[in-house]
Formats: sequence, C-alpha cells, structure tokens
Amino acid sequence: MASLADSFLADLEELSDEENYSEEETAELADAEHDGHTDMQDLESLNYDDLDSVSKLQRTQRYKDIMQKVEEALPKGEQDESTFLVEEDPEYQLIVNCNSLSVDIENEIVIIHNFIRDKYRLKFPELESLVHHPIDYARVVKKIGNETDLTLVDLEGLLPSAIIMVVSVTASTTTGKPLPEETLAKTIEACDRALVLDLAKKKVLEFVESRMGYIAPNLSAIVGSAVASRLVGSAGGLSALAKMPACNVQLLGTKKKNLAGMSRASALNVGFLEQTEVFQSTPEPLRARVVRVLSAKSALAARIDSVRGDPTGKAGRDFREGIRKKVEKWQEPPPAKLPKPLPVPDSEPKKKRGGRRLRKMKERYAITELMKQKNRMPFGKQEETSLGDGLGEGFGMLGQAGSGKLRISVAQSKLKPKATKKFKEKSYGSSGATSGLTSSLAFTPVQGIELTNPQALGSSLLGSGTQSTYFSETGTFSKIKRT
Amino acid sequence: MASLLLPTLTTKREIDTIIRDTLDKVVVLRFGRASDASCLQLDDILSKTSRDVSRFATVGLVDVDSEEVKVYVEYFDITLMPAIVFFFNAHHMKMDSGTADHTKWIGSFHSKQDFIDVVEAIFRGAMKGKLIVTCPLPPERIPRFQLLFKDV
Repeated sequence: MASLADSFLADLEELSDEENYSEEETAELADAEHDGHTDMQDLESLNYDDLDSVSKLQRTQRYKDIMQKVEEALPKGEQDESTFLVEEDPEYQLIVNCNSLSVDIENEIVIIHNFIRDKYRLKFPELESLVHHPIDYARVVKKIGNETDLTLVDLEGLLPSAIIMVVSVTASTTTGKPLPEETLAKTIEACDRALVLDLAKKKVLEFVESRMGYIAPNLSAIVGSAVASRLVGSAGGLSALAKMPACNVQLLGTKKKNLAGMSRASALNVGFLEQTEVFQSTPEPLRARVVRVLSAKSALAARIDSVRGDPTGKAGRDFREGIRKKVEKWQEPPPAKLPKPLPVPDSEPKKKRGGRRLRKMKERYAITELMKQKNRMPFGKQEETSLGDGLGEGFGMLGQAGSGKLRISVAQSKLKPKATKKFKEKSYGSSGATSGLTSSLAFTPVQGIELTNPQALGSSLLGSGTQSTYFSETGTFSKIKRT
Repeated sequence: MASLLLPTLTTKREIDTIIRDTLDKVVVLRFGRASDASCLQLDDILSKTSRDVSRFATVGLVDVDSEEVKVYVEYFDITLMPAIVFFFNAHHMKMDSGTADHTKWIGSFHSKQDFIDVVEAIFRGAMKGKLIVTCPLPPERIPRFQLLFKDV
C-alpha cells in the first residue's frame, strides 16, 4: 500500500525518539489490517506524538454519517410494524454498516489505549499491569491526572475495591514522576476520546440490538439479540449466515485461529455462542453438547429468517424451549437399577471354552503315564507295594518285568515345542559330556541285565496315552516264560 | 429394597389353586401365625428373597388360625410353627435335613442365602424327577427342636 510506504518514509524523516514505538504500532496495525477494510488506512500511526494522527476514525465521514443515523433512529424506539425489514431497506444497510463500524471502533480504542499507556508510563508504570481493560484504564488515568498522592483521589465506582487498594498501595511506591503539562493535556484528551468512542460503540450496539428483533426474530429468540447481531455481522449478512453450515456458525467469533494441521482443539471451540444466556446457564460438563445443539438450531433459525418464513418468531421460541428441555433431560439421574431375580438353576448351559490355552492349562492336572500305569494291576500276580507284602501304596504295572520298558519315560507333552530329531538321536550315542559311569545297560533284580530296545520305545505300545494297552490289538502277551 | 407383600392364603380354594396352577415352579407355603416372633423373622426372609427366587419359586403364607385351613394343618400334621411345605407341579416335595420330619421344614432360616439354597436344592431335585432331596445346609444351620417328654 502506498500510504504505508509513505508512513515509513515519514518516520525516517522524523527521527523522533519514539521511532521504535511507532514501528511497534505499525506492526500491530498490520495485523489489524488483515480484516480487509479499506478505511484502515486512516488508522495507521504516522507521527506518534500527535493523538490526532493516531486516531483518525472520529474524523472519517463514514463514522459521522453512521453515528448521525443511529442517533436519529434510536429515539424511534420499538416500532409497531411487525413487517420485516427487507434487505434493500436502508435501515438494513445501516445495521450492516453498524456491525463493521463497531469492530472498527474496538480497534480504535485499543490503539488509543496503547497511546495513553505509553504516555502515562512515565508517571505510573505499574498501573497498566493492574488495570487491564482499556476503558477502565482511561477512566482511572483521567481521575488521577497528575496527582502524586492517591489518598486525594477517589476511585470508587471505577474499579473493584480490592483493585483500588492495590492501586493506592503501588502508587505510594511508584517509580514514576509527574508528567509535564503538555503531555498531561494530551493524555487527558486521549482518555476523553476513548470514552467517547466507547459510548458511541454502545449506542451502535444498542441500536442494532433493538432492530435485531425485526430483522431476525427467530435467531434472536434462540441466542439473544446481542449475540444475533454479532453473528450476522461477522458472517457478513443474514443470508450469508444462513448459507453457513452449523459447524461454522459455532466457530464464528472464536478468538484463536489455530494453525492449520497443528491445532489442538483443547478448551471448547465456541465463538459468540459462548455469550448466550443458554450457554452461560448450563453446567460445565454439558457445555460441549449444548454448543453443538445451539449452533444447529441457530443455523436453522437463520435460514428461516433469511426467507422470512416465520415473522412472529415462534419457531425460534420453540427451538429455545426444545434446547432447554434437552439440557434438563441430560441432567436427569440415570434410572434406578432393580435387582434382577436369580436365574433358574440349570437352565443356562455352561459355556465351555476350548483351544490351545485351555489344553495347556489342563495338562497341569492331567493324569500322567506314570499314574496310569500305577492305577492298573497285572493279572494273576500280586502287585508290588511300597512297604512290601501288600502294605503301603501299590505300584500297579510299574516296574513289571517284560513290559517292553524299564522305566516309564515322561511322555512328551504334545503342546510343548518338540525337541529336534537330531537332539534325540544324539542322546543314544553319548557325546562325551555325560559321565563315564553311565551306560545304556541297566540292571534289574529280576532278570539281571536288560537292554532297552529303542524300537520298542519307538513303536511304543504305551507311547500314546489314548491307546489302551491292556486291550491293545497289536500287543502280545506281556510275559511268556518257558517252563 | 422392594419387599413385595406375599400373598396370604386363607381359603382352601386359594391353596388348591396355587398348588395346582403353578407350573414348573416350586411352591413354598409357610404355615404359621403372623404374630409369632420366629414366624415374623421367617416372613421377613421370605419377603426379601421372593423376588430373587421368583423365576423358579412362588411363596405364599398360610395363616393357621383360619377355619378352612385346619384341614391342611391336620393333613400335614403341623404342630410347630412356623412350618414350610414345598410343592412342585402338585407333588409334595420332601427334604431330608437330618431331622426326623422330612415332609416339612420347621423353623426359620439363618440367612436369606440359606433359604435360596434350600429352594434351589428342591428345584433341582424336582426337575430331575425326585420327590425327596437332601438339604444342602450344614447341620449347624438347620434349626432343631428338642423333643421334651412330659414326665421324663
């Protein structure tokens, strides 16, 4: 923009001490300029010392026109006409202008606040951190003026009493010194300006609010005329608002513009809807749900209003009632649980589980080969017992001669990972790691030396636990003695 | 705790109906007087468990003092109050709880769970087709009454 370049040149020529301040100002303004209003050019600060160059809004024609119209229209009060304001109606245009003007006024106030703050820093630097709101700050500065002793200044009504106390205390120990006359005069003038602008903004908003009931009765029935006017203003018109999907309506007026792709939607993403009565009166946990319902219904209401479907506003009131009922329903306690009667015995079949895991579990309690042999007894022979002579525990088939095996080897669990064949064969030919006293021969009391027959082991009749060895098809007599 | 009022049976007809018409459910009839202390305790347990057991049992109270009921008192030989008689599909169920009398349960229960266990045992036995079942309670929990002879 040409005027921006001019302003920079002007700055360089100026060589004022506050050059760095003005750069800061232009940086701030550059942000504000993103709104795209061409009138913003007026708001650039050129010469920082002069208030007039800082705040030019009040001197623009636009401002004057709109304020005049608003002044005229306000006293008209509530019009009896229930007819709608058509979009071509000049009053409607006025309202649209008012919306944008209020935004401009807000920005202007911020600029003036900065101006006042910077000037007053010499006198009372701590005040800016104690009083944040620009209008309150302006009022306080005006009241205090050049006074050093704050006991002579009455700040009642301007600030909450706690803050007044803090201000008085800090004032007594402040590092600032009184301002020169000229600076003081400028500061006071700036304060006055700020207050006038604030008043103007209030008037404008009041006007818009009063008319909002005629422009968009359904929308104002749901969210209230203040929020409705803001929504319409930021959307850029009622029909523009009507075209938006409800999710966008929810986000109108959010202060944070999260970076694309890197945003974290932390606290509720609400804009103007946060200021509605409905939202403020719902308890904290339900607010997220309410805001969605609100934006949905207000989008619907805006659509009704844009085509003038319901001039009485009944639809809006119905929506509001519906929202209220929903919130109430959400807050109901859950229905009390009745204790259930016991199920009929044996009517529900047991759910049996299966699978590898269960089988592995069952292996721990399964009956081993050893136990099976112990439980059976040889026919026609007295079984051996632990204490001998039929006393003690019986051994059953264990240790019986001629049963193809000397000792019962522990049957390998089918579910455990199998040892490799190589490893098995190796055990027969000792690899030298075994002690020298072991042999594949074994000595039994009955027949002396018995050699274990590996083939018998392999095709072991007793190998698989599923086969019954007593009635085995392949087995022979277990002991045939030549007499 | 919804303790539903248990139906009180006073006429013979009512008793007949409830025994005959309850299908596949145990009928628990308490014979006793509403004023008696152990009867009250038993009634309390019965009313609290009647809902839990409602899928396989119905509970009824019979007041022993009414006229028509005397027939049944005679028939079941009820002398000690309270007494509970069990029925299943119009058959009289007996239970061996270690006492002399298997045809009825005499006395109150120690807890609600005991009563539920007894009813369940009766139900299981009845579904299998038995007419007499053994009591699942340990002997400490079975109320016993000593037989006192007059002159001994």
